Amino acid sequence: MTPAESRLAALRRVPVARRLADRAGPLSCAVGLAVVVGLYALRQPLILSPFGLASLANVSVALALAAVGQSIVLLAAGLDLSIGGQITLINCVAATTMGASGLSVATVVVACLLIGLCTGAVNGLIVAYGRVEPLIATFCTAFIFTGAALVILPRPGGAIPDGFAAALTESWGPLPLSLVLLAGAVLLVWIPVFGSPLGRYIVAVGDDAESARLSGLPVRRVELASYMLAGLFAAVAALFLAAETTSGDPGVGQIYTMNSIAAAVLGGVSLSGGRGTLIGPILGSFVLAIVMNALGVFNVSAFWQNFIEGLILMVVLGLGGLRLLAAGNWLALFRQ
Amino acid sequence: MKSASAPTPSFRLPLQITPERRRVLFSYVILLAVYAGCVAVSRDFLSWSTVRLQLVQAAFIGVIAIGETFAILIGQIDLSAPWTITLSAILATNLAAQFNAQWIAFAVAIGVGVGVGLLNAIGVFALRVHSLIWTLSVNLLLQGVALIYSNAVAPTTRIPPVAGFLALGNIGPAPAAFALWAVCAAVAIGALRLSPFGRLVYAIGNRPAAALLSGVRLGRVYTAVFVASGLCSALVGLLLAGYASQAYLGMGNDYLLPPIAAVVIGGAPLTGGVGGYVGSVAGVLVVVLLQAMLVSLDVSEGARQMIFGALLLALAFAFIKRSR
Repeated sequence: MTPAESRLAALRRVPVARRLADRAGPLSCAVGLAVVVGLYALRQPLILSPFGLASLANVSVALALAAVGQSIVLLAAGLDLSIGGQITLINCVAATTMGASGLSVATVVVACLLIGLCTGAVNGLIVAYGRVEPLIATFCTAFIFTGAALVILPRPGGAIPDGFAAALTESWGPLPLSLVLLAGAVLLVWIPVFGSPLGRYIVAVGDDAESARLSGLPVRRVELASYMLAGLFAAVAALFLAAETTSGDPGVGQIYTMNSIAAAVLGGVSLSGGRGTLIGPILGSFVLAIVMNALGVFNVSAFWQNFIEGLILMVVLGLGGLRLLAAGNWLALFRQ
Repeated sequence: MKSASAPTPSFRLPLQITPERRRVLFSYVILLAVYAGCVAVSRDFLSWSTVRLQLVQAAFIGVIAIGETFAILIGQIDLSAPWTITLSAILATNLAAQFNAQWIAFAVAIGVGVGVGLLNAIGVFALRVHSLIWTLSVNLLLQGVALIYSNAVAPTTRIPPVAGFLALGNIGPAPAAFALWAVCAAVAIGALRLSPFGRLVYAIGNRPAAALLSGVRLGRVYTAVFVASGLCSALVGLLLAGYASQAYLGMGNDYLLPPIAAVVIGGAPLTGGVGGYVGSVAGVLVVVLLQAMLVSLDVSEGARQMIFGALLLALAFAFIKRSR
């Protein structure tokens, strides 16, 4: 190795501590998940049976899909407060239009995925080309999407064929089909996207949009793409929720907006963009969803659930803030 | 340019039309247009009894919009209003019934307002969580507290007669709630325009780093702003309890978006540093009239949400600071 090459290799070598810090989110989530499932199993051993594992997966997969979508937007330094609204809208569309025949089910599934891409594109266009702050833009579109859902389906109802529901929520041997759906969505969307230049562009834009622009990256198109991908994941989550509840509900998506952000932050995705993994938000959503589910199983009164959920959110968000505080001085916090 | 937000130097003519004033003027033009639209939809809007009803409703939204204006001026937002309202109303009236004393209700409402404000300030300032996410989480937490406290049973309440009078009574020809709003509005406008507090608020909204380097105690201003916002919501909670003669879960749910829409229509961009409460007053009236118009047009809840979202988006577009 020439001296120049060894210097380069030394530059590339990331210190172990730094690498650990980058993986802190996913690692702590993995530990947390093991602890949560362990405690759950102590109280309710049946949870380790195939049926129990499938039910755990079923309560978590919708949030995991939403969190993965949210993470893509967060990686590009955006924010999508309309994830819940998109889920609600697509859930209501699916429940009102999905007939019983195989052809209509297939058509509606494809249509729903397209609607997800479109709602995501609306967000992306407003943010990337309309230059409205992501937070404000998606806050407004969330009302539009939820309002549209209420127009389509004013109160819970609609119907989902049993076959479709079973295909997404039951088990194939010991393997819950919902996990297959999650893995499929990740393999078919995340892996191709983040294996391609688009994925690197998303991270680059999220890390520093100005540098990305100066390097000649199509910043606006990248931002648009990130919102469309989030919409796609929201659509998959909405279809899964439709299958899980075999009906539509204009209030179904509400909790997913905040919880997807919390799961992403818990999994180590930075709210300021450019840093995060895929596995982190997925593990984070499993921890969050299983904790919320366990509260119900352990006879914690339903009235406490909002409180505990709010508390978890605040602690998770606060921890993210603490990390930011350690990063630099006060002035650095305002530099944008 | 954001520098227009500072109070106009004294050597200028007081009536000079700055971009700032044009925005405020624009919001009053919108108000006139919306009122004309209301009259076109229904002649009822010409009668005093209908207008009086709208003024009372405007007073509730207007008082919340004071805190919201402060928060938006420093570039933040406060979304914890709905359950601050509910929690304040339930706690205040229930404790007043238990201890059988009117003043307890006011003390509890103030306590709730200050507590929520401090909690918001801790998250937004000390922990640097974005205010939109943090205050929504706080809202969820407060919802939990309200549910736990009431145990989902309608609580026994004692509405303080003063709150009842402020919500339902009359002072001369004007509704008492409107008079209260007028007083609060005058204080808010005075605080923003004449007091050092107001100058610090605009300084932070324009450029937090510059404010920090100029020695502004950011923490104090953030705390003051969020506590003021919490107090406004808590006070409205008490007023609403007086208005409905009861306190119930979810009574604040309709008060999340309207005050924010009012501030934005009033010409304050959500990025902060520009605008003031004079514009918000027009915004509040616009929002209330629009709501009344949509109700008299018999528009469904879903369509109402869509119209609101689209309207807010359109105004965000109109007032956007095109810098990127």
